[in-house]
Amino acid sequence: MNKKGQIRMSETIAVLFIFFVLILFGLVFYSKYQTVALKEKQEELLANRAIETTLRTLFLPELICSDGETEPEDNCFDMLKLRLLNETLQRNLDDYYFELFSYAKIEVQEVYPGNATYLLYDKPKPNFKSRESTYFVITLRDELIGKGEASNSFGYVKVGVYS
Amino acid sequence: MIIKQRKILPSGKLAQMEMVGLVVIVILITLGMLFMAIFALKSDNQKKVFTSKGLTSSAMSSIMKTNVGQDANCVSEYIGYSTPIIGKDIIDDCAKYLDNPSYSLYSCIGPISGEKVHSCVFLREIVSHLLEETLGSWNKNYEFHSQIISGVEVKDIIEPIIVGRGGKGCKGVERDTSGLFPINTEAGLVENVLYLC
Repeated sequence: MNKKGQIRMSETIAVLFIFFVLILFGLVFYSKYQTVALKEKQEELLANRAIETTLRTLFLPELICSDGETEPEDNCFDMLKLRLLNETLQRNLDDYYFELFSYAKIEVQEVYPGNATYLLYDKPKPNFKSRESTYFVITLRDELIGKGEASNSFGYVKVGVYS
Repeated sequence: MIIKQRKILPSGKLAQMEMVGLVVIVILITLGMLFMAIFALKSDNQKKVFTSKGLTSSAMSSIMKTNVGQDANCVSEYIGYSTPIIGKDIIDDCAKYLDNPSYSLYSCIGPISGEKVHSCVFLREIVSHLLEETLGSWNKNYEFHSQIISGVEVKDIIEPIIVGRGGKGCKGVERDTSGLFPINTEAGLVENVLYLC
């Protein structure tokens, strides 16, 4: 009878041991999942910030082709504005544009027919870990090149946000 | 306490309870695996959707609005040297002289061949060049089609530009479209479309 009781006791201990091992597995899995989920959430937030910054850049009145009409032209930058924007941005960087773009780098690259690069804004975050870049194809309208009509070039805007 | 229970419960009942415990464990493991599979398959996010959708239509509209550069030395029979618009002058010229490969109103130096070519050849070269320099360099797969619709007949004005997936482009996969960019020409309606995947 005593021997039988001892066997039952060890059986109970074994069952409890397996039960706690299963719980431990669950906890390990949950903590791993939480770490990955947190990282994904951070990446998602950074991507969202990149999107927001890109949209702000694309619809910036200081850049967009307005043509003197009420409705501005989508996905188009006015080269006359673009050439002078850097100066304006630098002058009002901390008191206005930092509020809009935060820690970011905004570049405009002409692809065709020229290949000029325009650095519009660059405010790197101290000790940044990564930079998320978003690209968007745009038209670069230059009123000075065309004969009578404006000349359109092909390019893209690259917006990188620091985290 | 367990011993007491075992004394009360008949052996058949005990076996049933153990089976129930086993079933509960199996269900828990299955649920865990199900969750793992769900999280593994959940990959797309807002950014992917946004960049693709906006990128396709913006790329298409920008291509159509672009003026051919002066280095292409475009010569028109009546105007002389000019910088025609791709989505207006070049496509119109290509559609008009589609069946006459030896003549077109504009004659421009292609960015790929480096020679004076027919408008249709130039159109394909310039669009390929622009897409390669942007979408191609960002490792995107894409397809560009330009077709003329005259009556019931639909015909490609240039050979479709298909890049990625070993020449398959975006066929059979989830893709984003720029939407149709219709251009009215003297020869008929030219529909242009860009797919991105």
